[in-house]
Amino acid sequence: MNEFEWLRQTRALREPASPRRDLWPAIDAALDDATSTAPVPRRSTAQRAQGWLLAASFAGLSLFAGSLAVHLRDRPLATATASAAPDLERWRPSDPRLAGAAVEFDAANMELRQAMEQAPHSPALQRLLYRMQKQQSQLRQLEHQAG
Amino acid sequence: MPPAPAAEPTDTDDVRAAAAGDRRAFHRLYRLHVDRVYGAVYRLAGFDHARAEDLTQDAFVRAWQKLSGFRHESSFGTWLYRLAVNVALMDIRARGADPVSMMAEDDLPDRGETPFCAAEREELERAIGKLPPRARAVLVLHDIEGWRHEEIGVELGMAVGSSKAQLHRARGLLRKVLGESA
Repeated sequence: MNEFEWLRQTRALREPASPRRDLWPAIDAALDDATSTAPVPRRSTAQRAQGWLLAASFAGLSLFAGSLAVHLRDRPLATATASAAPDLERWRPSDPRLAGAAVEFDAANMELRQAMEQAPHSPALQRLLYRMQKQQSQLRQLEHQAG
Repeated sequence: MPPAPAAEPTDTDDVRAAAAGDRRAFHRLYRLHVDRVYGAVYRLAGFDHARAEDLTQDAFVRAWQKLSGFRHESSFGTWLYRLAVNVALMDIRARGADPVSMMAEDDLPDRGETPFCAAEREELERAIGKLPPRARAVLVLHDIEGWRHEEIGVELGMAVGSSKAQLHRARGLLRKVLGESA
């Protein structure tokens, strides 16, 4: 018998087979013990990254708010009233875990606009604006990926 | 990846429900897939019903635990089949099976005259069942389940050459028992 014939015969053994008894009752009982660890969804890489990014965002926004407060305190009120800062699009995340970040973004956006009314060409404020836009964009992207 | 066994019914909804903790959905998946899973495990367990039943139970419990990690990159049937095979191979490893030794020929069943005819299928199964666990695993995975040596090597933690050598010796013993020249 050549190899082809051998394999043809042995592959014939590859058939479904039924257990001699119903295994479900034993499985069902075992699932009770396993349930505590079972349907807990594992966090995907994107979700873990989202958590880290969220924490980093809070830290960044806190730093931003602090530096902005110092900046405003040390500067005399400007007379300019025109809004020189581009307004960030309001973000309303569907994921409730990101609601806190959205509130922070709104507050930071408002403060940034006020600051840029006084110093519309400040490089520091431009950098802060850029970083904030980038953070918001990353969070939106992660929210989209996480579904 | 070995070829997916048999047809794949649409069970996506049940998989998602079970991953969310729906026990009835998981029961439906069990009924749908148990025979395929049991067949593979039964062969790897050396056609030992009692052990195959234990391993099949274990495979389904593990599947339940791991369902949330199932990414739908393959069919659920293929994923479950692969998981069950791993459970059976882990059992082989846990039993400290000697990766190279072969059974004494005296321990094999008496030789038959015409291999693989329906009447001697049971004899072939008994002969396979008496092979040392690792050699049996290689023969079952390659000759019956259709795996490649590279996949077998990864799962059993052996070199491709070792897998081929195990297969060659296992086939030789089986053929001798069954009345073929190796």
